[in-house]
Amino acid sequence: MPPRGARLRAALPYAAVLLGAVFLYFRAAEFAMMGREGNLGPAFWPRAVLLLLMIVCLLEMLRVAFFFRREPDEPIVPAAGPVPEEDDAPRLPALLAGGIVITVLYVPAMEMMGFFLATILYLAAFMWIGRYRRPIVVAVTSVLGTIAFVYVFMKVVYVSLPLGAGPFRQFSAWVLAALGVH
Amino acid sequence: MQDVLLQLGHGFMHLGTPTNALALVVGLVVGMLVAVLPGLTLVMGVVLALPFTYGMAVTPSIVLLTAMYLSGTYGGAFTSILFRIPGEPLDVPLLWDGYPMARQGQPAKALGWTLLAALIGGLITAVSAVALAVPFAKFALRFDAPEYFAILMFGLSGVVSLAGGSLAKALVSLCVGLLLASVGVDETYGADRFTFGVPMLKDGIEYLTVMVGAYGLGEVLTRMEQGFVTPPMDASRKLETRFPSWREIRELKGTIGRSSFIGVLCGIVPGAGATVGSFVAYGVEAQYGKNRGKLGTGIPEGIVAPQLASTATVGGHMVPLLALGIPGSGATAVILGAFLLHGVQPGPQIFQTSGDMVYTIFASMFAAVLGMCLLGYFAIKPLIWVLKLPEAVTSAFVALFCFVGAYSARNSVTDLWMIVAFGIVGYLFERFRFPIAPMVLGCILGPVAENAFMTSMIAYKNDWAIFFTRPISGVVMVMTLIALGFPLVRQFREAIRRDRVAAAPIGDLNHEVRP
Repeated sequence: MPPRGARLRAALPYAAVLLGAVFLYFRAAEFAMMGREGNLGPAFWPRAVLLLLMIVCLLEMLRVAFFFRREPDEPIVPAAGPVPEEDDAPRLPALLAGGIVITVLYVPAMEMMGFFLATILYLAAFMWIGRYRRPIVVAVTSVLGTIAFVYVFMKVVYVSLPLGAGPFRQFSAWVLAALGVH
Repeated sequence: MQDVLLQLGHGFMHLGTPTNALALVVGLVVGMLVAVLPGLTLVMGVVLALPFTYGMAVTPSIVLLTAMYLSGTYGGAFTSILFRIPGEPLDVPLLWDGYPMARQGQPAKALGWTLLAALIGGLITAVSAVALAVPFAKFALRFDAPEYFAILMFGLSGVVSLAGGSLAKALVSLCVGLLLASVGVDETYGADRFTFGVPMLKDGIEYLTVMVGAYGLGEVLTRMEQGFVTPPMDASRKLETRFPSWREIRELKGTIGRSSFIGVLCGIVPGAGATVGSFVAYGVEAQYGKNRGKLGTGIPEGIVAPQLASTATVGGHMVPLLALGIPGSGATAVILGAFLLHGVQPGPQIFQTSGDMVYTIFASMFAAVLGMCLLGYFAIKPLIWVLKLPEAVTSAFVALFCFVGAYSARNSVTDLWMIVAFGIVGYLFERFRFPIAPMVLGCILGPVAENAFMTSMIAYKNDWAIFFTRPISGVVMVMTLIALGFPLVRQFREAIRRDRVAAAPIGDLNHEVRP
């Protein structure tokens, strides 16, 4: 039997999903009563899905607790030919955390600074955090890439990308005028 | 038959218009680029191309995405054979023989076999799509709500059972997708479901944000955690393609026949896409091929079988997509999304209501096959140039495409937050090895399945047995149960085999696992 820690780690995602499913199942009571007489009502379908979800999670947690073995994660295909090399790249949580933080910040930054400025900063920060450390290439790629995006999406595809607020809005308008986007 | 050929002729004429022809060429080139880049999957590429189709008419949109899909099954062969880097999972079996052949000093020959396999697979897939779609649609005209529900369940179960090794994870993923689809104001009763008083949730969750976030941004975050380890390639290698002789081709007629059949079949069965087709064709060759003992050493059979089968799945996938409105893979789910975004619902009636469009798409498949082979023969060198770009740079732009793509659909900042949320969900799915495809398909097909179910219940007075007592829906429901039971049986047999191996004495074990 594998150690308790390994079993706990394997059961954790299912426990989290189960808790969420139970919560949603009871929240469905809010709209369960809106159905007409003789009909199943609007809560039936989501509740049926939630029940299935809960059963699957419970069964998996039981399996992990009593019959734990490594899950067959490989695709269901015939095992033919030499096995490709395992992807043994180490995980770098700091990089991931940095990536998530700048990605989350990008959305409010776009609302405040406008697409042009926020995107230049986002692209540069992304490449830098992604360990590409050639400042001139990063700067040039970010600026030219953003200009290309603005031109293609606003001039060709007619998407109204955010312009930002206050002085940033004026700056975005100036950039667009310079690019010939009206 | 004559009518079909006539319509196909009209399709070729429509394809000749500048917009459609341009969409075809762009789709082929971008599909190849996506397949060449190891960080971009084929589905992700099709998803990222979707925003560019918003302003286009429906026909060029679908022509573009289908051309991408088709050429994407071929482009990754170059990196597999020359650099031992599969651009797509479907290219993995290809490198088992393609790379050794290249190392033996015959890269041009290996690329020639690949080109031939893609050409044959592509032509077979286009012919099978034209031949099978109309009979499929005629048959589907007999369907009522219970049959539709049964077919949708079969489609979803196929994706669940074939999406990955763990049935439980695939079911969790599917349920999450179905629940996401139920958020917002319910169509039948007008009730707010799971909106928690948040106004933006009343409109529901756009499946586009789920697709783009989970597939695109999720993959980018996963690669970021790994530190973008794929180094830029030395793409200056000499690239030549040399066709095999007619005699050599004739020697492989058994492989060609088997792989063609497997490819088309894997295309029609929901869930068994190009990757499964590629692996199965290689596996069948390993079991029944004339030179099965030499597989893995760099023989043509090991190149032709996976390449031909993976390309041949495309047309098979287009049949249920067009005739029934059911996508069998991630890429066809995106193409269905493109149809719906343009207000077109694929199904049996589409051949009457939009015949010109359907046959233009079919014609584009024939043209795309020839186009991708020409591109592969003459223009692969500039396409391989993208391999020189560092992964951090390409990933930054992929992330940007995700944001702009999601924003473009409704010009809504809310969708940007959704992208971030589903990007993190996609990363967590990858991290804990939950398949994403069932969630995306659940999200797209959930409302249709719920509607078919509710209509059946209202029409047949809540009689559950109706799904099993009507002949067509009954057969399909039994097939659904078999599809769901298949991985369970497989896992059970696997567990017994492992127990036997674990219990066997060392001497027996050595004997058993001897290669």
